[in-house]
Amino acid sequence: MKNPVSILSFGLSCPGGTSLEALKDSSIWPVEFVAEAGRRGIREVSRINLSAEPVNRWRMKLRLRRASPLSHHLIEAITQTLEARPDIDPARVGVVGAFFLGCLEYSVRFYKGLSSDGRRFASPILFPETVVNTPLSHVVAELGIGGPVYSQVGDTSCWVSALRTACLWIENGDINHVIVAGAEEFEPHLLDAFHSLRWFTKRHTLRVAEGAGAILIGRQTPSAIADITRIADGHTFRTRKQARTAGAECLADFDPSIPVIETATGWIAETASSLLISRQTIPVSHGPRREGFTASSAWNTILAARQGEHARVAVPHWGLSQNIAAVEISHE
Amino acid sequence: MPDGYFGGVKSLADVVITGWGCVSPLGGDTATTWEALLRGESARGGITCIPVEGCRVTQGAEARLPELAGVSKREISRLSRASRLALPAARQAMADAGILDSTGRSLFPRLELSVSTTACGMEHGEKFLRDIWSNNARHLASKISRYPAHQQIGDLQQHLGFSGPSIIVSNACASGANAIGHAADLLRAGFADIVLAGGYEALCELVFCGFDSLQALDPDLCKPFDLYRRGLMLGEGAAFLVMETSAHAIKRGAKIKGRLAGYGHTTDTHHITQPDPTGAPLEGAIQCALRQAGLEPSSIGYLNAHGTATVFNDGAEAAAFARVFGKDLNGVRISSTKAAIGHTLGAAGTLEAVFALECLRSSDIPPQINTTQPIPELASCLAQPGDKLARPGVLSVNLGFGGSNAALVFTTP
Repeated sequence: MKNPVSILSFGLSCPGGTSLEALKDSSIWPVEFVAEAGRRGIREVSRINLSAEPVNRWRMKLRLRRASPLSHHLIEAITQTLEARPDIDPARVGVVGAFFLGCLEYSVRFYKGLSSDGRRFASPILFPETVVNTPLSHVVAELGIGGPVYSQVGDTSCWVSALRTACLWIENGDINHVIVAGAEEFEPHLLDAFHSLRWFTKRHTLRVAEGAGAILIGRQTPSAIADITRIADGHTFRTRKQARTAGAECLADFDPSIPVIETATGWIAETASSLLISRQTIPVSHGPRREGFTASSAWNTILAARQGEHARVAVPHWGLSQNIAAVEISHE
Repeated sequence: MPDGYFGGVKSLADVVITGWGCVSPLGGDTATTWEALLRGESARGGITCIPVEGCRVTQGAEARLPELAGVSKREISRLSRASRLALPAARQAMADAGILDSTGRSLFPRLELSVSTTACGMEHGEKFLRDIWSNNARHLASKISRYPAHQQIGDLQQHLGFSGPSIIVSNACASGANAIGHAADLLRAGFADIVLAGGYEALCELVFCGFDSLQALDPDLCKPFDLYRRGLMLGEGAAFLVMETSAHAIKRGAKIKGRLAGYGHTTDTHHITQPDPTGAPLEGAIQCALRQAGLEPSSIGYLNAHGTATVFNDGAEAAAFARVFGKDLNGVRISSTKAAIGHTLGAAGTLEAVFALECLRSSDIPPQINTTQPIPELASCLAQPGDKLARPGVLSVNLGFGGSNAALVFTTP
């Protein structure tokens, strides 16, 4: 990035609720035992009850009645972000969404339907909801957001790629304010995928979670929550051995004296620990490790921006399958 | 027209294109595809690469997968169909730009990627689910690992010898134009000096059945802008462009072959699968692109339309074109190449950008095929065989589910 940007507001929806306190302590999050996950190493997940307040406010909205859970997580986080800055006109705000899993629940349901009932009976109602950019489309229509809109996909680190896009739009003068959002929804087949990929082992237990987080960024201003002063992206890998090199290269972009937020989960946690052995690491949440992929990336960014102890921190985003990226958050 | 924010104020004067390549249902390279397009050929045929039995429509435009020189059979067997399309297209573009060494690897070890897709390696996700449901636990990891889009990025980086930041835009059928526009944004902001931009899409059962369920596929020929159009033809393919700042291209002695002069994008919130019938959001994207290019509508000689041949899309496009061009509309030649290669979704914007650049290079315009009774609004401007480019600019537009609209303006160097 060429110029720092400021975080002006944030919003979130996590299994524990929609407050920062709920995000900080995952031990209070509801836990669901996934019965189908009998053979798998990981069975516990934390999900969001969409019929509970305040997130149930979206259920009766015409455009969202049939929308995926992902759309509901996303709109809650983005709405909070806008509500916190009523001085900023949504019609002049852009949005970049980062997604790892996308509209998984409806995609699986749609494919299961055509596989079991026959291709001719595939659901025309479900199909549009399987498209990656549909959730963000619902959000901008419902909230009157009028700026540019991108949906980006990738592993967990694509949150940083989305952040970079937002910085790019601001840098080019296309728009002054951009929301960067990460959101994921849970679907039980995820556990099959993770189990087969050996991403999560007994040594690296964690709780899969769903939800969303969003930050509103703009040009650097003194009244901001925090600033994003450095972005390192594009440290790619194909094997776990290469991931170590990629992680080392990524971290080398940051002043070794600044603390690093603990964000790694799954198999890459061990790699991260060994790379961070000479650095000060700080936890920003309590309770069991949770993994919500791009939602986690957003949550970790929010928690790092809201911590008050350190003037500067680095927040790594450990993609589990392709890329490692990091951002520096400053209160100076 | 929406005011203000998108399409930026900074000039794209410095964004140049030094190479391009494509794989389409009409051919495994740009030259073959372009010649077939000019001859008015269509790749429509029976779909064999995915199961479509039971669908209302079983025809489409399937690509023949090109040979992958230098890649072992074992490695090829590990690649998704999407990567099998993307790799040769990217390799052609890089070779055309002169950024491959003698072993076929990138001269730039860090090369930024701006890529689009909607279904990524979906056939592997489908296989994974079918195996889970049938209690077949063999090779599950190899299937699911090839599904996500970032695995195709990894395939490109591994086989073409580079690394670096990547963006994967998934704005439905406008994604390809967005990926190219994003690459231009990176260059004009100084975030990069050279970017490989492109898109890819492989046919897959989920998406095919999805469009079939919407009854959006024409059981007969795909007839864009025809009074009796009944829907689209799905296709597959990939296309890539090497984009640079002019300073970077000049410094390395590259031949500048085209310019991306303008990019505009808007979001239409009218409906999740239907565009605003007035065409106003698309008009906004086109006006932004023209403004950024510093061109009047009268400077556009060829317009590669989105032209899916659905009732709603083509109507909205025609309305937008009428509003943008006004009395100049009759001087523009318009065609939708989707009648020939099918709708390639996430790759559409990139393939159509390659056709725009080929039009600028050769002055030839691909004719509108299959359309026998054109809608009155565009009857006088649909491209005919033998039409030549008579103005300096070429416009390519795309619309997508969710309301994504994008417009690109290309000019000669």
